[in-house]
Amino acid sequence: MSYAEFLAGEPVIVTAALTGGVHGKETTPHLPETPEEIGKAAAEAEAAGAAVVHVHARQPNGERTFATERFQEIDDAIRRRAEDVIIQHSTGGTGAPDAARHLPLRTDPAPEMASLDMGPLNRYDHLTSENTRGLVDSLHAEMVERGVKPELELFNDGHLNEALGLLDRRDLADPVYGTLIFGPGTLTPPTPRNFLTAIDNLPAGAQFNTLGFGRHQLPFATMGLLFGGHVRVGLEDNVYYRQGELATSNAQLVERVVRIADELGRPVATPSQAREILGL
Amino acid sequence: MSCPFLDYRLEANERQFDEPRAYCEAAARFVQPMRADICNDRYDLAHDSDCEIYLEHAGAADENEGKNEREPKNGTGNRSGDGDENRAGSGEDA
Ligand code: SF4
Repeated sequence: MSYAEFLAGEPVIVTAALTGGVHGKETTPHLPETPEEIGKAAAEAEAAGAAVVHVHARQPNGERTFATERFQEIDDAIRRRAEDVIIQHSTGGTGAPDAARHLPLRTDPAPEMASLDMGPLNRYDHLTSENTRGLVDSLHAEMVERGVKPELELFNDGHLNEALGLLDRRDLADPVYGTLIFGPGTLTPPTPRNFLTAIDNLPAGAQFNTLGFGRHQLPFATMGLLFGGHVRVGLEDNVYYRQGELATSNAQLVERVVRIADELGRPVATPSQAREILGL
Repeated sequence: MSCPFLDYRLEANERQFDEPRAYCEAAARFVQPMRADICNDRYDLAHDSDCEIYLEHAGAADENEGKNEREPKNGTGNRSGDGDENRAGSGEDA
């Protein structure tokens, strides 16, 4: 994907990362945590233009859970309000055992998509989400078995090598879909040059999604739009609308990026178009 | 065993919640849900090796008291607990 796709006016898939598993309502009261809150946020995000919602599961007190049953409650709550949006479960889980990372894949029906973290990621001062190749392969195998499209989470340039390694080891359905992630810590440093290098290094034929953390969300989404990529926004990755002003909802962040896409002449994909683009 | 600095509170610091949430008495603030797994020693996580806030405050307590007790000590740490965590959206666990 490149500037040519932008010029060609290819539709952009907007993903809304609604809740995440790191911060919670202690950081912003606007973050949805319960299944009902997530369901409502999903419907609002879809109405604002999101074709995909990326979800994590939480206990009633906001803490993380990987239980299939909780993902099921969330999916049911989403489907009561948004019949068409594509549901993408996270299989991320810093510090959680590998077995727990499979549980989000086991809802009925399975999610149409799920994230697949492509390698190690440091958290705080003493934690690393290891995401070994063994875990990546076993998650991918279960995704294939259950008909789940993997969204490769590429936290840094080394993970582009990991994606190529995965392609050597396993058959991935076309198109390969990866999210380029920019920000602090283990992430790719958020510079335009690094963004351009990353899209140059994508596997041939891959579609890419663009994710900038915190204040980088909007500029990197805009670059993603300009270079024919797809974009992810939402309160999981950024809780501010602008400096010092909390975003009031996921939908508010979706509306903004949809407005920019519109100004730039990129049509925003409906869930049906997104299914076609991603081969779901 | 969970961290001795961990408490579950419905309100503090002018914030109120429907369910009691993990509160760190060392940092004097609610902690992020991901960090709460460390506070609770869930999975293979352990507060006394995996939490920098605990290590800083327990170390200070040891020095001040000349013994190895882990008494909660209200937030004087220069990290103020989840300092980096409140830089919103820096949570990378997509
Ligand atoms: S944040 Fe650290 S010091 Fe505070 S309660 Fe949790 S483990 Fe203990």
